[in-house]
Amino acid sequence: MQLDLFDVNLYIGRPTRELYAPVSTIDELLVQLDRQRISRALVWHVAQRDASPVTGNAMLSAAIAGQDRLWGCWTILPPQTGEVIRGDHDFFGDMRANRIVALRAFPELHRYLLNCVVFGRWMDQIVERRIPLLLSMEHGVTWPAVYGLLEAYPALTCILCDVGIWGVDRYTWPLLENYPSVHLETSLVALEDGGMEATVARYGAKRLVFGTGFPERYPESAILQLLHAEISDDDKQKIASGNLQDLLARVVL
Amino acid sequence: MSHSNLKEAFYAEGKLPDCPVYDLHAHMGPYYGIGFPRPDADGMIHAMDRAGVRLLVFCHHGTLFTPDIGNWANIAAVQRYPARLRAYCGINPNYPEVIAYDIAHFDEHPDVFVGLKMLADYHGFALTDQRYRAAWELADRRKLLVLIHTWGGSRLDGPEVVREIAERYPQASILMGHSCHGEWDKAIALVREFPNLYFELCAVLDERGMLERFVGEMGSRRILFGTDLPWFNHHYYIGSVLGADITDEDRHDILHRNAEALLSRFGV
Repeated sequence: MQLDLFDVNLYIGRPTRELYAPVSTIDELLVQLDRQRISRALVWHVAQRDASPVTGNAMLSAAIAGQDRLWGCWTILPPQTGEVIRGDHDFFGDMRANRIVALRAFPELHRYLLNCVVFGRWMDQIVERRIPLLLSMEHGVTWPAVYGLLEAYPALTCILCDVGIWGVDRYTWPLLENYPSVHLETSLVALEDGGMEATVARYGAKRLVFGTGFPERYPESAILQLLHAEISDDDKQKIASGNLQDLLARVVL
Repeated sequence: MSHSNLKEAFYAEGKLPDCPVYDLHAHMGPYYGIGFPRPDADGMIHAMDRAGVRLLVFCHHGTLFTPDIGNWANIAAVQRYPARLRAYCGINPNYPEVIAYDIAHFDEHPDVFVGLKMLADYHGFALTDQRYRAAWELADRRKLLVLIHTWGGSRLDGPEVVREIAERYPQASILMGHSCHGEWDKAIALVREFPNLYFELCAVLDERGMLERFVGEMGSRRILFGTDLPWFNHHYYIGSVLGADITDEDRHDILHRNAEALLSRFGV
């Protein structure tokens, strides 16, 4: 079958540490997407992680301007320091103007706590506006931090990305069970043998969104696994793009 | 990156009769650190069927972690699926008496075992330790496959230890499980220097670019495919091989030809 693919988890830019064949320009990324037959993508810039969210957010906005196949994630920092979230700016208006429809956070790496003491009422707005917060379990987020955040903001639209090389159902399934707005990105769910099928059987296909983890992982891995997963074609298409489309359609900016 | 007929065919069909897959690094059974959806022999055969895996060589988690189970778990599974499974005889250096028993009875199971499996990082003794000696001598004498867990930086099974073993037992075919993960340059140097050493791709393929390096430096004839099943999904790792910037001929070598050549001596 042919799947319409919408990749929720890839980045542009060259990381600080050497990586095999990253893409540093949007043109290079579009070539890569065409090669993989990925129609759309929700992109972040690795400078958001490695350099600074301030630098990386601006680089991402400039890169995706005018690209109708691409949307972006900005990376947040605590509101108190005024680096990314500033009281004198219309943050959500700026998001809308820059095709930014989701957020990312790297609390361990960026040295703050991702909790209600730090984000307080501001995170309530993220919940109310149904803006997805993407948390990469391979890039500076711990499981206790995720559990704590969701306890404080149980209705948060949260997409857990890069969930881990070893299967993590013992961590993720309690979250799927307790928080209906939690979703899993598939690039490493696909790695666990039978993991996708078991998750779909227990919690439904609506809780998974397709991602490749490019450029750190081969997109063909997640694509081949999804194409031949033992789930219905309808569920495959939901995971490939339908679920993310639905999530982004609900965002209020 | 050039067009790949194999990629298109795997995308369309999921498995290919003219490109069977041999998985030379697998396990079986439950494990404390992870909840597997389908870790038993039936579940693994089902997984193999879906991706066109013709043969899988494994060592049961029970063998490796529970001496009270030992190699009987391997023998029982292969006897149940003799056309699809072969096993590595698990060697746990913490129990020399079990090793002695398994070596003494090794020849009773010619249709089960194609070699040995050693997991030094988990068992706590370097591959060069005296406790392994009888097992290595058996492997060398009988030209067995030996799948060793290898990891960069390890004093138990890192590149320096592998070098010593490869020198000492040149007749054994030594599969470097995980290819000295992280110390890639040293892994390449070892395979270049010792004809009895092979790269094995489990936990390598989830990092983009490493397979291209191995093939670029050494060609594709010394690379073996493995998944740690029931840990990792065959289609996921086959997808990585399809995504790497190598040729379809390289992919055929990695997915089946190299394993077929190694296993032919065991009548498989």
